[in-house]
Amino acid sequence: MSAYLLFIILTLILTCFYYIAKKRSLLLVDGDIKKLHSLPTHYGWAAGINSFIPGFIILAIWTISKDNLINKLLISQLETESASLPTFELNALLSNIKNYIANGTGDESLAVYAEYYRNVSEKIAWSFFLAAIGVSCISGYYTLYKMSPTVNSRNHIETIIKMMLLAFSVIAIITTIGIVFSLLFESIRFFDQVSITEFVFGIKWSPQTAIRIDQVGSSGAFGAVPLFMGTMLITVIAMLIAGPIGLLSAIYMAEFANKKVRKIAKPLLEILAGIPTVVYGFIAALVVAPFIRDTGALFGLEIASESALAAGIVMGVMIIPLISSLSDDVISVVPQSLREGSLGLGATQTETILKVILPSALPGVVGALLLATSRAIGETMIVVMAAGMAANLTINPLEAVTTVTVQIVALLTGDQEFASSKTLSAFALGLALFFTTLALNAIALIIVKKYREQYD
Amino acid sequence: MTDTSDNDQAITRVIWHSDEQKNRLKSRYRKEKIFKFFAVSSLAAAMAALVVVLGSIIITGSSGFIETRIEMDIFLDKAVLGDLPTDDRQEYEKQVAGANINRILVSSLQREFPDVTKRSDVFELLRLFSVGAQTDIRDVILKDPSVIGKTIPINLLASSNVDMLIKGNISRDVAENDRKISDQQIAWIDKLNNDGKVTQGFNWSFFVSGDSREPELAGIWSATIGSFLTLLVTFLIAFPIGVGSAIYLEEFAPKNRITDLIEININNLAAVPSIIFGLLGLAIFINYINLPRSAPLVGGLTLALMTLPTIIITARAALKAVPPSIKEAAIGLGASHMQTVFHHVLPLSMPGILTGSIIGMAQALGETAPLIMIGMVAFIVDTPGSIMEASTALPVQVYLWADSPERGFLEKTSAAIMVLLAFLIIMNGLAIWLRQKFEKKW
Amino acid sequence: MVENMNMQSSKNEIGGQQKAITPKMRARKVNVYYGENHALKDINLDINPNEVTALIGPSGCGKSTFLRSLNRMNDIIDICRVEGTITLDGEDINNKSIDVVQLRARIGMVFQKPNPFPKSIYDNIAYGPRIHGIANNKHELDEIVHSSLKKAGLWNEVHDRLDASGTSLSGGQQQRLCIARTIAIEPEVILMDEPCSALDPIATAVIEELIDELKNRYAIVIVTHSMQQAARISQKTAFFHLGKLMEHGDTATIFTNPTHQKTRDYITGRYG
Repeated sequence: MSAYLLFIILTLILTCFYYIAKKRSLLLVDGDIKKLHSLPTHYGWAAGINSFIPGFIILAIWTISKDNLINKLLISQLETESASLPTFELNALLSNIKNYIANGTGDESLAVYAEYYRNVSEKIAWSFFLAAIGVSCISGYYTLYKMSPTVNSRNHIETIIKMMLLAFSVIAIITTIGIVFSLLFESIRFFDQVSITEFVFGIKWSPQTAIRIDQVGSSGAFGAVPLFMGTMLITVIAMLIAGPIGLLSAIYMAEFANKKVRKIAKPLLEILAGIPTVVYGFIAALVVAPFIRDTGALFGLEIASESALAAGIVMGVMIIPLISSLSDDVISVVPQSLREGSLGLGATQTETILKVILPSALPGVVGALLLATSRAIGETMIVVMAAGMAANLTINPLEAVTTVTVQIVALLTGDQEFASSKTLSAFALGLALFFTTLALNAIALIIVKKYREQYD
Repeated sequence: MTDTSDNDQAITRVIWHSDEQKNRLKSRYRKEKIFKFFAVSSLAAAMAALVVVLGSIIITGSSGFIETRIEMDIFLDKAVLGDLPTDDRQEYEKQVAGANINRILVSSLQREFPDVTKRSDVFELLRLFSVGAQTDIRDVILKDPSVIGKTIPINLLASSNVDMLIKGNISRDVAENDRKISDQQIAWIDKLNNDGKVTQGFNWSFFVSGDSREPELAGIWSATIGSFLTLLVTFLIAFPIGVGSAIYLEEFAPKNRITDLIEININNLAAVPSIIFGLLGLAIFINYINLPRSAPLVGGLTLALMTLPTIIITARAALKAVPPSIKEAAIGLGASHMQTVFHHVLPLSMPGILTGSIIGMAQALGETAPLIMIGMVAFIVDTPGSIMEASTALPVQVYLWADSPERGFLEKTSAAIMVLLAFLIIMNGLAIWLRQKFEKKW
Repeated sequence: MVENMNMQSSKNEIGGQQKAITPKMRARKVNVYYGENHALKDINLDINPNEVTALIGPSGCGKSTFLRSLNRMNDIIDICRVEGTITLDGEDINNKSIDVVQLRARIGMVFQKPNPFPKSIYDNIAYGPRIHGIANNKHELDEIVHSSLKKAGLWNEVHDRLDASGTSLSGGQQQRLCIARTIAIEPEVILMDEPCSALDPIATAVIEELIDELKNRYAIVIVTHSMQQAARISQKTAFFHLGKLMEHGDTATIFTNPTHQKTRDYITGRYG
């Protein structure tokens, strides 16, 4: 039984109730629409939606929970010694069984489980199926039964739609909660294996743990300080580049440039903003890193080919348009009257900008820089492609460093066993990243909001 | 006449013509000049960065659309191919697929270069051609059974190394051991080139084939389809939910703390790093709900959550831009608030909403990190047929190729980036067009 | 001799007839365009020292545009073009040899809405002297701030909180702060663009008193919407209508015996 089929059936039921209710509403008043409180279509929709929603909820529950449900039943069915296997072996066994069901290949001993699986899943599917259709019909019929010319169907539908819209906007909150919980949950599991103090203060990062105990190097080190330092180093380089250039570009466009220049430069900056980060990463690795290395070689400097400098510069370029557009917004909020006041006193444009406009826009500019910093900290592709993997604890921009995001990607690419400290550490890093950027964003947004209100 | 200087005496005015003031003015204007110079240089630097980025992509990438072929006289030996049943098409295709084309190619090469006898030399000779050359021969046989037994010239796909040599990406000046192509091979190529056998043409297969380990065979079709399916899921989920939330927040939400919370939440969510969404997708969609790894469905869901804030924020702005007078007119006619919104406000703000959504989709198209998190980085040759099948996406393909050591993938990476940028330009262009076409002056 | 200055005065001067007062500023055949829009047409007007000249007229008549032409404030509007000659002490202000920065220091301006900088009261006043290098040391700067605030009648109200932000003052105080800021660099002319329109009647009265006092030191040009205000504080009045200067002369004459029907209609409140 597929969920699609059930969905189609539910839709058909909806359509039926729609037409029946529409007809019935007219019959109730002998075709005189004026006597009805709402339009016949409203009655139709009310009955249709009332039939659809409960069925759909059951369908949704089934779709989301069926795998887990069936897995649990299967595990309970497996012989006791198998059921007490470590999680990942159990998962492997389960996937073997499923593979057997799907393709008929694999160990013949699995046949019995396959049979059981088929039975159970069919039974569960059928019961959900019938439940959904039954509830749907009952609910639709009840609406028909209660229908009378005085029932306010329009309000009823509108309430349902309003609830639906509310549910939509709550999804944003659910997403945040989902992020927090998934990160927190896995991080807690990680901190069961590795102490928080080691993670936060440890200076050695080498997450290669062995899957089997007999492998060498089984004990990994999870001191994240080199990653935090690396992230900070690259972020600082990026901000040193993007901060002045972005801000000054915005000032030039807002205060000096004529309309023509603005009309050309703004879309060009938007193009710079629209280039995917993977492209920047490619450029960093292809053009900038070799260029820096060769330039360094000219002066007898030995620069790592994955230097923090290369990644930082390219990240800076990526952030320029963000800073310039945010600063542009902020500068344009400064009232024209302040500009005129300053110019009217005989100030030059530069004096006006440096002594009046920028000080007035300072909170906004700070907010913009904080947002950009948060963006730099969370940026992934550039550093994945241009920064290194080695967790060096250094502040020398010519050496290779690694960052939080690089490690998250490295830890989670390829086939991983989910419960190992190695993979779990990625979630701990993610948690640190999330709260850092969240704090920066929240502060920035509050500052910018307060700043805007000042001139509203 | 009254003397007004009585009053003036009390005033000590600046003497603007004094040398002191003149010098001061000069230095003020010098500062103005310097500052303006810095400002304009900053803008110029940003523009220069754009030129460098686009320039290096175009320079390294344009040759990616060109492929090199070598024309060879191929003797389609009946003895090798065996008796092919020309009247039964199905059986014929099956047997051609199983035929030892490699031997045909080798023997034809030996006829062309009779002095090459050593096994290792023959192997080197064979390496001038791509493994795709066999497909070229096979295609000829499939197309016209009458060629069997004859010797006909076939334009065979050259190997990536030959391609690089012809394009000048492999330097002849480098010592033999340091380059991927031997002196002997270069001599052969030069001979073939002098005979006019080496040709370059447009690389159509780049657009219609999937990924490959061989640079000359690799294409972007499956990645494009993967991206398309992913974006489709993203749009189908993010658009209705985003617009729905925007309508609720803009039109129906009561002013209370929950609404405030939702608003703050959305603004913050818009700035959460994309990789965090990838972690969310991995933890929830794959590990918890057990959706298939690497599938466009999961990628689309993840990107939808990421794009949602953008769509909500722009949709709210579009809804807000509809003047209240229109709403009041509808309500004045007895329409309910809901009817007013859906009959009047929403249609009027649709162009703005679409513009914002397309821009959000464009962002999603270029997004790489979350897709890597949910495992869309696998090496995938086949084109995904549904949103549940393992797939990759354009930006991820770029990432994968950029990581490949072969020189031939460099131009493919840039070429794929050009295609990706072309899609982005089209999408943003569409957004700009929409905005301008439907821009309303209320 | 102020009484002699009727609406014929400018003609008389062109005719070379010696008058007791040389105009501080002189506008001849001034035309201003905003893109295609011809905003001011052939304006001829003299501004005398130690007098308040009021520019009146209905909205959009060009009086503010004219005011902004006097210190080249229109320069900052891209599409704005000014033709004709405006002189300050006989020098053409649009001449290359005149520096616009210095010009604006010599012709101060007070705006419709009080626009103190979001800095301390002290820094607001000190801004002009600092950029023009008027004070040689901290003591002199203190002195300038003190005297400017005194002249603007604000000293008593703010002397104990010079560090407070200029924006923390009330509307009337803010406007006086802006006036103090302007006189801190001792301009020769002060332009005022409806300085009281955003203020309540009490604050307005204070400012009007202040203007009356300031005219002893400066030539003042004030744009106003209020007929009563023009009558109360100005010695000369110019009536603008649709970009043209309809009539100008002694305030007393204009208000009691205007030549043009339009002027009469406006003054009696028929429209405007």
